[in-house]
Amino acid sequence: MKILFYTGKGGVGKSTMAASAAWQLSRNSRVLIVSLDPAHNLGDIFCVSLNGREKRMSDRLLLREVDLHKLSRDYLEREIGVLTRTYSYLQALNLDRYFSVLKYSPGIEEYALLTSIEETIRREKDFDFIIFDTPPTGLTLRFLALPQITITWIDRLAQIRRQILDKRHTIQKIRGPRKEGDEGQEVKLAFDEKDDAVLNRLMALKGNYESLTGILQGPDCGVVLVFNPDMLSLRESERLVEGLRDINLPLRLLIQNKVTEENRSIAGQVVAELRKMVGEIPLLQVALSAQLACGLDSMLYDIPEDLVAPLDWRR
Amino acid sequence: MQGFGQGQREKVLSLTCMEQQELENVFALLLLGSFVGFPAPPTFLAVELLPFMEREMQVLGQRAEDASDMLGQMMGTLGVD
Repeated sequence: MKILFYTGKGGVGKSTMAASAAWQLSRNSRVLIVSLDPAHNLGDIFCVSLNGREKRMSDRLLLREVDLHKLSRDYLEREIGVLTRTYSYLQALNLDRYFSVLKYSPGIEEYALLTSIEETIRREKDFDFIIFDTPPTGLTLRFLALPQITITWIDRLAQIRRQILDKRHTIQKIRGPRKEGDEGQEVKLAFDEKDDAVLNRLMALKGNYESLTGILQGPDCGVVLVFNPDMLSLRESERLVEGLRDINLPLRLLIQNKVTEENRSIAGQVVAELRKMVGEIPLLQVALSAQLACGLDSMLYDIPEDLVAPLDWRR
Repeated sequence: MQGFGQGQREKVLSLTCMEQQELENVFALLLLGSFVGFPAPPTFLAVELLPFMEREMQVLGQRAEDASDMLGQMMGTLGVD
């Protein structure tokens, strides 16, 4: 199974390229295309209304739209469930109020996005390709970097946690075995690594993120960069390439969209500039289509360029 | 003799306990710092661990309460009356 992320500046045609590639791929393979973009053009391109759900276009092509707000809400609700079960003395009512504030804290959306990607990758084993149509560059880079940042934090926190457990163990040893009738608060404190809920949770999270990082950096995953023949999209693409390099994600294909006879010289310059950064990554130029496309019979899916062959990077 | 040993033991114990609480305080502060404006780990990590942090949050609250009397606390720990 291959996993592809279509990235690029807003408006360059990420969704269109992702949709066309999905359509071409679905002739011979089973494809799932997921829109993570809050703007949600995917439904518009296929002329269906998705509304945060999924729709089967053919036997081999499934469309899905991810509703970010719903995702963050679901995630927080799950956590509230765990909280109310764990905290004996707090009322659920107060927690509710507290969590409605949490919703606006930074990072929850990226996390919800990442969780959704993770779930998709783990659950959907029946597809040959999973294509993600990503939100604008900034958000995309943030959520793709998230697993690695989180692992660093988890390591630090686990280190402190182990020290705490170590101290607790020492205290336990000095005190000696408890006599009957001693009912202090300290009795309940876990000092063994296996019994400590916090450390266990930290380690579970770490394992989770490490395997996700492994998948994202692995041979079956790749980023496709879509850009236009203009300087703005070149600059943003350069930032994206740098960002991807920082987090060690493999860039597999460049697609220059909206190339016409008039802008061919600029297109050449943009490609030359980009080539200096990325080296020998396959490049595909797609001509600007005059037709406004919509629906299954439209011209959109007859984009003459072959979007499939360059995706086979292990050939 | 037994009482003497017990006394020494308690003394060491209170110091270690204090150290442990301080560590728990740091842990909670690091994890939940984003809510009070510290540069902190991704918020969701805090949310993820929050259900198991009852004690640490109590310690954190206690520390905040005692903050006005740091000197008294220190003297207490060092055994100065």
